[in-house]
Amino acid sequence: MIGNNLQSAVPGRVVNSARKQRILTFLMVVGPGLIVMEADNDAGAVSTYTQAGAQYGTHLLWVLLLLLPICYFVQEMVARLGIVTGEGHAAMIYRRFGSWWGTFSLIDLQVANFLTLVTEFAAISLAMSKLGVSPLIAVPLSAVALIGLVFTGSYLRWERIVIGLCLLDVAWFVMAGICAPHWKDAAIHTVVPNLPKGPISSSLVFMIIAIVGTTIAPWQLFFQQSCVADKRLRMSDLKFARWDTMLGAIFTILVGGAMILVGDAAYRHQIPFSDPAQMAADLAPSVGPFVKNALLLMMVNAAVLGTTAISLSSAWAYGEVKGWPHSLHRKFKEAPGFYIVYGACVFGAAAVVLIPKVPLQLVIVSVQVLAGLMLPSAIIFLQLMLNDRQLLGDEYVNRPWNNWVNWIIITVLFLLSLLLGAQVALPNLFPAS
Amino acid sequence: MIAQKNPSSDTFIVIHPLDDAPEVKRTGEHLGEMEMTRGVRTLLLVLRGYLILMIALLGYHILDLAGVFSRHLHR
Repeated sequence: MIGNNLQSAVPGRVVNSARKQRILTFLMVVGPGLIVMEADNDAGAVSTYTQAGAQYGTHLLWVLLLLLPICYFVQEMVARLGIVTGEGHAAMIYRRFGSWWGTFSLIDLQVANFLTLVTEFAAISLAMSKLGVSPLIAVPLSAVALIGLVFTGSYLRWERIVIGLCLLDVAWFVMAGICAPHWKDAAIHTVVPNLPKGPISSSLVFMIIAIVGTTIAPWQLFFQQSCVADKRLRMSDLKFARWDTMLGAIFTILVGGAMILVGDAAYRHQIPFSDPAQMAADLAPSVGPFVKNALLLMMVNAAVLGTTAISLSSAWAYGEVKGWPHSLHRKFKEAPGFYIVYGACVFGAAAVVLIPKVPLQLVIVSVQVLAGLMLPSAIIFLQLMLNDRQLLGDEYVNRPWNNWVNWIIITVLFLLSLLLGAQVALPNLFPAS
Repeated sequence: MIAQKNPSSDTFIVIHPLDDAPEVKRTGEHLGEMEMTRGVRTLLLVLRGYLILMIALLGYHILDLAGVFSRHLHR
């Protein structure tokens, strides 16, 4: 029996239909796409989306819908590149574009990632304070737990735990339901692009740019490519990796929409927005304690997801460029550099948050602008690499329609990046409110 | 190899990527730097200038937000 021989030779699972085979293969492949998308709904995203809802109600939901295909197309390209080359993004930039671009991308990534990690721990500190836990306990404990998550030497263990954390985000749908939004208005504002009444203000422009910036971040390119390489996805897995990426994109946009709907509750109850933790406390009398506690816990969950993914993107990128062993399959003693970079990112950011009077607003502005600057150029490199026939061959290079879509995305992101730069240089470009 | 079909019994064996034999990848180790047209090279040069300018602008803005310039003026 060929089947029995195969079964004894390889550690596979036997199924009796092609349909079951496809489902099982998908379940084995799913992970990097879902994680990269959902981890992008990090503490900064919670803050941005709830603020968008609290200040503009459901008016900006259409921006999220527009971002769905952009998320998918960009991340599909990195998944393809990772599967075909078996290498990470940083390594590919170094190899194909030389040391200037390699160094620039790596430094920019590390700086933007570290600043983002500071905002993640700031969110943990803020949310746990509102739950009555001192930041001096919550922040170090979270850092230790985040270290423990990866130091097991098992990619699968890390992936399963993180997928579990991603799925906890369904709590946002429950919270949105309890907040009882005007569903009809929300549906209309999702499919019909519209702006709140009044002039186009500086804060509205910043908010739209922030939504774009928080939904597609540069670290995601580095993370997913390294992750599919670490998971050793095969070229025949590409179809399932695309489904994984699509599933992740849809889930993250739906969760982002739910966050806007929760923020919309503050808009309808005329609660001024300062930060999501304060909003949770202010909303409690109107929508009940469940939403308050769930929102605070989901803030922590978002920050934990963001921290592990962002720190890994840094550690993988550094390991690739330095030529160090860099894999979650390895124990600490087999890949010390990789784990030290991960640990330094986590503990460094946690330590910064514990410094009294750290200028968090400066950190947040820097993160947004650095990410906004880096993203369009990172996607240009992606576009060039995905047209690299020498590297990918005819089978895996972009099709002409892929290129058209990507150049439109790059143009839009560049325009937003220029607008952001103009806003920074000329703060009075648009009216203040 | 995702799955192997057993032709005699219509069953499939599905193998997890981490348990499968490593496959040959297109790493491009032998390729070196990418061959680029003059247009692409110019585009990257412009991009480099743009990024340096924008980072300088960001640095200025951050120092401004931190009050470095206003403190200097007060003296």
